[in-house]
Amino acid sequence: MTTINRPLLLFALLLTALGAISATAQPQALGVEGQALIGEPKGRPLSGEELERVTNEVSSLMRCPVCQGLSVADSPTPSAVAMKEEVRQFLAAGYTETQILTYFEQSYGEFIRLEPKAKGFNLLVWILPIAGLLAGLALVMRRVKQPAATEAQDDAPTTVDPDLEVYLEQVRREVSS
Amino acid sequence: MNRTALIVGVLVITPLLIFLALSFRSDPRDIESPLIGKTAPLFTLQDLDGNVYSLEELRGQPVVINFWATWCQPCIVEHPVLVAASRRYEGRVTFLGVIYNDKPELIRKFVRQMGAWGPSLIDEDVSVAIAYGVYGAPETFFIDATGTIVDKATGAVSPQYLVNLLEGMLSS
Amino acid sequence: MISQLGQALVLLAVLTCAVGAPIAFLAGAYRSQKGLAWSRKLALAFGLWMFLATLAMEYALITHDFSVSYVASVGSLATPLHITIVSLWSSLEGSILFWGCVLGLFTAAVAVLQRRGHEDYLAYTLGTLFCIGLFFSFLIASAANPFAPTQPPIPTDGPGPNPLLQNHLLMIIHPPMLYLGYVGMSVPFAMAVAALLRGQLGPTWLLPLRNWLLVPTSFLTLGIMLGGWWSYEVLGWGGYWAWDPVENASFLPWLTAIAALHSAIVQQRRGTLKAWTTILVLITFLLTILGTFLTRSGVVNSVHSFTQSPIGPLFLIFLGICLVACVILLTLRIDTLVSEPSEDSIVAREGAFLLNNNLLLVAVMFTVLIGTLFPIIAEAVRGIKVSVGEPYFNRMSVPIFLGLLLLMGIGPALPWGRSDPATRRRVLLWPLPAAAVAVVLAFMLGVRNGYVLFTCALAGYALWVTLNQVLRPVWLRSRKGEALPRALGTVASRTPRRLGAYLVHFGVILTFVAIAISSTYQTDSEASLAPGQNMSVGGYDLTFNELEVERAPHRTSQRAIIDVKHSGRAKGTLAPALNQYPTQREPMGTPAVKSTLTHDLYLTVMNISTNGRVGIRAIVTPAVYWIWIGVLVMVVGTAICLVSPAPVGAPAVGAQRETEAATP
Repeated sequence: MTTINRPLLLFALLLTALGAISATAQPQALGVEGQALIGEPKGRPLSGEELERVTNEVSSLMRCPVCQGLSVADSPTPSAVAMKEEVRQFLAAGYTETQILTYFEQSYGEFIRLEPKAKGFNLLVWILPIAGLLAGLALVMRRVKQPAATEAQDDAPTTVDPDLEVYLEQVRREVSS
Repeated sequence: MNRTALIVGVLVITPLLIFLALSFRSDPRDIESPLIGKTAPLFTLQDLDGNVYSLEELRGQPVVINFWATWCQPCIVEHPVLVAASRRYEGRVTFLGVIYNDKPELIRKFVRQMGAWGPSLIDEDVSVAIAYGVYGAPETFFIDATGTIVDKATGAVSPQYLVNLLEGMLSS
Repeated sequence: MISQLGQALVLLAVLTCAVGAPIAFLAGAYRSQKGLAWSRKLALAFGLWMFLATLAMEYALITHDFSVSYVASVGSLATPLHITIVSLWSSLEGSILFWGCVLGLFTAAVAVLQRRGHEDYLAYTLGTLFCIGLFFSFLIASAANPFAPTQPPIPTDGPGPNPLLQNHLLMIIHPPMLYLGYVGMSVPFAMAVAALLRGQLGPTWLLPLRNWLLVPTSFLTLGIMLGGWWSYEVLGWGGYWAWDPVENASFLPWLTAIAALHSAIVQQRRGTLKAWTTILVLITFLLTILGTFLTRSGVVNSVHSFTQSPIGPLFLIFLGICLVACVILLTLRIDTLVSEPSEDSIVAREGAFLLNNNLLLVAVMFTVLIGTLFPIIAEAVRGIKVSVGEPYFNRMSVPIFLGLLLLMGIGPALPWGRSDPATRRRVLLWPLPAAAVAVVLAFMLGVRNGYVLFTCALAGYALWVTLNQVLRPVWLRSRKGEALPRALGTVASRTPRRLGAYLVHFGVILTFVAIAISSTYQTDSEASLAPGQNMSVGGYDLTFNELEVERAPHRTSQRAIIDVKHSGRAKGTLAPALNQYPTQREPMGTPAVKSTLTHDLYLTVMNISTNGRVGIRAIVTPAVYWIWIGVLVMVVGTAICLVSPAPVGAPAVGAQRETEAATP
């Protein structure tokens, strides 16, 4: 091909130039405009060791989206590493744990929280085990109290661990014989 | 006969079996996106050739955003479907591919061999995938002319589903 | 050929169980010696068929007979022999076959080992085992048939087993241990059902039941530990327990089994809690079936279950039948257990404390169960997927575990029988200095975390009580002039069960403290290193030397050779690797771990870039080794309890008191 489509070349050059101009005119940050979704930071900015510690704490409350049940804090996958980095940036900017979790929940849904929010139906998962424990305790107490009434008639001898006592007795006998 | 055993037993096993039986209806991998019906998170990304794309500037016509990678099998399966759809709706719908945890050189090679259906945007810090709540590749988001997310598909999209959805979005 | 042979063997097993179940139950009902003899023979036959079927599958795997569908799905010519052998349990169908094999062997073992006496109990036991066997052999013959012939064309090579299985040797022994524990729970279940059907649970039947419960429990303990160890050595995130549904599924029956063992001790001593022990044994088995359903049917998200599988509905039906059968049995027969003489009331404090031990164990079980099932419940009710993960389980269960540790100190310290308040106060205050010493010691070693210090205090208390229980007789003997080693030997040989039980407690204390420390004091660091560059973490200086590539037929391994120095001194090299399997898109990491008694150095390769840089994550975790040691001590203790001879002479019915019985 010897002939070059001149108008097209010119057009392309023009476009490139325009692109370059518009790029320099308004330098755009690449990536997502995430901060807009959760408003102003409600906490104080963290830094240094505290930032690392809280970053780990918050990201351990989030499910790594591409793993099976691992938290963002534990997972070495690129997605989890990126999410942890976002958490770090949010914390450094002064966002609170609640705000950060809300941000991720807005896009991933409640599934992202490794701990169900204690709200509405989810309260069950927090209350049921405690209720079960208390009910069990009540049951045990009732059963233990029952024989208290008959205690007076029962004249079984009071001993230190009878099991050990029987055994110790045996030992004494053997040793003395 | 011990009434307590009967009552407690029935109270325990009935809900247990009901919930376990109901669990068959759900697919553990199909996680509903809370973004549907909401404004799509805005982003600005560069494609493999350095062209800049900003979602905000694409308002006015439907946008299809597909998160994909060369390592993902369903992405390869749906590739020709997207190529066909991008031809059919050229000028009416914008198709954007966002690279999800993959190397640009692999994407370039793949696109050279299999054809492109839209620009492949580099999401260097995974922030766009995170903003869209991507659980894995491929995931496809459908954004209408006003910038609202209409639907999200997990896994390879079928031609039927794609055409139905886009026709609906274009006619409304 | 193998395909037909295997299917025939499985069908024989189905047939054997179908015939055996009615024979055994009738033999139980009519107390027929002849019927029992037949049931025994059929039990042996069932074990034999299942064992032969498994052998046939192994033969097919080793000879790469791709006409067998299971071999075609997990076999590969490139896989090394030892991995080919264990790929029996690398996928669903094979693992169900293995399950059947273990069940068959357990059934046969009951028929062989339970020789003397117990005729009517034994017949019912075998009958129940036949019923369970019927379900599993039916499953192997139908929905999970590993012997199904491959659809032609028959492939010349297969994809090989799951890379996770190939990645570490622990995977070879971890699943069998877990299966021996899991499947073994069928035996105490069958024995408890037999007790309910007979309407009696006397000491003569309680002892074998306890032993048959002890066996799977120790396998399960070992299996859970190996699972944790495996995930630590393979998954590369630096932890050993993630409260994954599969882990929970193995943990749930373990908790109730431990509770049942403890309540069996009270029953043995005081003749109480019969009904409760029975219920716990039933629940333990039901939890194994529930756990298998959850993890094998694909209804929950987990490392091990990803696909919806056809066995789910069948398992649910089986679970339903078992649940209904248990409720009916309990409704009709539980009163027969309760109304035996000297029953029903807990006479003394130990009852209360043991009940509390049982209460707390069951409470942990209930919490873990709710947490594991909640995503399913929430989705059914709200239509939304929620996660219940590590933070929830830790927050909910750690306080209960601390309560258990406290009881482990208080329980054994308290005298059996009734005691006056002064004695009680004395025995409970006596170990307090030990708790204080433990706290001071931990503080001096640099522990500042309140939770860990509290754990140490409880552990110090419990440790003192445990040592006191074991050493007091020794001390008494040596004071009377016996040489210390001899005194120790005599005590160990006279009361092995006592010793075993306290050894278990000692192991538990070790494990508790190790978990508390290791989960609190982890330091980690990440860096991207070019050859020659170094990083530091927790006193270690790590230099990335070179990248080594190792090619094997089934995988390509990229190993980062890293020189390790600790405070200036060379400590050898570690080589964490990224393994690429042809069937897997993403490489899988194999961490490299350097364990010492005080701490572990844990290295993983996060990524390898094209320019030769490696991303390394280095974690230093204290006390991890002591978790494995603690669990091994527990297992050794259980083994001592198990192999030591039963108390001489058949224990009398009622409130007999055995000198040798294990204490809480």
